[in-house]
Amino acid sequence: MEMAEFRTELHRWLDAHADELEPAFSPPGTLDEQIAQMQRVKAILFEADWIRYGWPERVGGLGGSPMLRTELGAALAARDLADPGLFSLIEVLAPTLIDFAPAELAAEVVPRLLSGAEIWCQGFSEPGTGSDLASLTCRAEPEGDATWVINGQKVWTSLAQYSDRCVLLTRTGPVDARHRGITAFFVDMDTPGVSVAPLEMINGQHEFAEVFFDNVAVPADRMLGDLHGGWAVAMSILPYERSSCFWQRIAYLYRRLEKLVEVAPDDDRAAEVIGNAFVQLHALRARSRVTQHRLADGQALGAETSIDKVLVATAEHATYDAARRLLPGVVEMDDSATGAAWRSEYLYSRAATIYGGTAEVQRNIIARRLLDLGSDE
Amino acid sequence: MMDATERDLLQQTVRDAFVSADTTTSLDSVLVDLGWLEMLGTARRDAVDIVFRSLGAVNGTSSVLDDVVVSALGIEPRADLAVLLPSFATWHAPGTTDGTDVSAMGVATARVATAADLLIACGTGAELSAVTVPRSAVEQRVIEGVDPDGGFRVVRVDRAAIGSSLGRCEWDAAITWGRIAAAHQIEGACRSMLELARTHALERVQFGRVIAGFQAVRHRLAEALVAVEALDATLTAAMDEVGPLTAALAKATAGRTGQIVGAHAQQVLAGIGFTTDHPFHRFLKRSLVLEGLFGSADEIATEIGHQLLATRCVPTLIEL
Ligand SMILES: Cc1cc2nc3c(=O)[nH]c(=O)nc-3n(C[C@H](O)[C@H](O)[C@H](O)COP(=O)(O)OP(=O)(O)OC[C@H]3O[C@@H](n4cnc5c(N)ncnc54)[C@H](O)[C@@H]3O)c2cc1C
Repeated sequence: MEMAEFRTELHRWLDAHADELEPAFSPPGTLDEQIAQMQRVKAILFEADWIRYGWPERVGGLGGSPMLRTELGAALAARDLADPGLFSLIEVLAPTLIDFAPAELAAEVVPRLLSGAEIWCQGFSEPGTGSDLASLTCRAEPEGDATWVINGQKVWTSLAQYSDRCVLLTRTGPVDARHRGITAFFVDMDTPGVSVAPLEMINGQHEFAEVFFDNVAVPADRMLGDLHGGWAVAMSILPYERSSCFWQRIAYLYRRLEKLVEVAPDDDRAAEVIGNAFVQLHALRARSRVTQHRLADGQALGAETSIDKVLVATAEHATYDAARRLLPGVVEMDDSATGAAWRSEYLYSRAATIYGGTAEVQRNIIARRLLDLGSDE
Repeated sequence: MMDATERDLLQQTVRDAFVSADTTTSLDSVLVDLGWLEMLGTARRDAVDIVFRSLGAVNGTSSVLDDVVVSALGIEPRADLAVLLPSFATWHAPGTTDGTDVSAMGVATARVATAADLLIACGTGAELSAVTVPRSAVEQRVIEGVDPDGGFRVVRVDRAAIGSSLGRCEWDAAITWGRIAAAHQIEGACRSMLELARTHALERVQFGRVIAGFQAVRHRLAEALVAVEALDATLTAAMDEVGPLTAALAKATAGRTGQIVGAHAQQVLAGIGFTTDHPFHRFLKRSLVLEGLFGSADEIATEIGHQLLATRCVPTLIEL
């Protein structure tokens, strides 16, 4: 289907099914409520085929440009039907399975992710390993030919306690082999020895968790990519994370700014604050569109997506800073549902410069790879 | 539309012309010989994009902005027709008329010094009309200001008799294209400022190493590149869908980008960039002036903010 037709038809369908899709709770809702809503929406969209566009047929998709699924995610975010942060985990994890899992495994599990039957998580960060991902130490050792045994810990793993599976990075070579000694596995979270301890985030939600691996036996055919080839798996996520996920986030931020515009006073100060936030959002959206089209045209996305990442993070901060400035006391003192929603989102927005590679790490990449400034060591 | 080869050729020719031209007039006439006036009719987007980016990149001074504004008004541009631009940091039509006489206040490029006529848009709202007055009716003074090389003049017309009436005009279109042109020029200037700072960072040695090795320096240059690329994308969006709002957003982004890149490049260049021996200062000064032309970043943002508050909605403008 062509994009223009898809967009028109999709919005017509979403309008017609608005009652059925609408959350049963008033925002922000608990995380349990948000997740139940997301899975329910995915199930309806799978049944009606919408969530299958843009995914390859061999994993239950209906084919077409990946931009179709990006458009869907953005439509859901703009209508507040699913939290884009949670929803876009599909974009982060499904392409990894499609590109690196054995074909039968991908064909079996990707439809389960799309249809809301499952949730997956991304186990990369560790207590000692954040920005410097290549230093990770959670170990996988071979046991016979058919099994790997995993020991170690992950941290800040989003949705771990809700997850059925985990895309896990493990150390299979010596630590000083750095990124050359890492292997990725697709681990069932109900495997004996996996335990999850949710962490309370700054906004009071328990969106991420610590995950412990104590002699967890994983079949060898659950290896993603090659032995010691985990770095390629990890890096392959970036193009999707930096294109479709961002487009969804941007749709969400436009809606947030609109919510602010609906209630802000109509004076010069508000106009300046809102205007400046809008100028940033527009520049971000313009940039992100260029990136999406490059990806859709088959170009390899690389270091230049660090620019998109910096812009997203800066615009997200600007949007919520605008809200905090123009709605005095709402973030700090307002105990109504509206206040709780702004508060939770405001606090969460600060993560934009932290996850997915911190703002500083992005600037390092831009300096080295795009400006060719040489090494900083 | 031009194809890639035509674009490259135009770009190279324009840059060479800018480098070899020593006076404004010769630069403008080189462009006219290249077919600039015809290009404005047949391939305005490409022509404006390439010419103004190059103008910014080499810090050239030219009066071709007049042709862009005149043709956006739906009037045939001529090398001897200057146009009155709004005063610094404003964007309303600069003139008023009672149908016989015209009075106006604004700025103009150097062309006003030699042109036969000055075009003035008069009125407010939908009631705009375009008139000309002969140069003899124009009081003008060269603006020294921060950028004496910019060639701008402050212009006053005091109850002069209308030379010719050109009928109703769309001032919005003039502002739209003026902003697009100025934003391209700022992008060119920003890329040059960034490149000057980058080159300096790779050559300057302090504490026994090139300063490009210091993370504080690297991050400033990275921030500057982020700003320039964001501006580039807003210009692409503005050219895809030319309109008052996309152009306003691009111009606001350009103004902000000039501030960001100017500040970071200046800090990295430090002492050497503080001298007039180094070319940096010219770009910085020109970008200060260009930011004010047709409205500064803050003024345009405030104007847009008022529009959003009036409609209580935030338009997405760009789709996949
Ligand atoms: C809401 C949220 C959700 C997350 N979800 C997941 C998830 O699902 N899965 C997962 O694996 N991880 C997840 N993370 C973890 C995230 O990826 C890490 O927090 C991130 O990579 C940064 O690592 P760190 O927190 O250890 O910070 P550190 O790397 O310790 O950095 C601390 C500070 O030092 C700076 N710094 C570090 N190195 C450099 C350098 N070379 N140059 C300059 N400055 C530097 C950083 O920018 C930062 O300001 C999540 C985090 C958050 C906040």
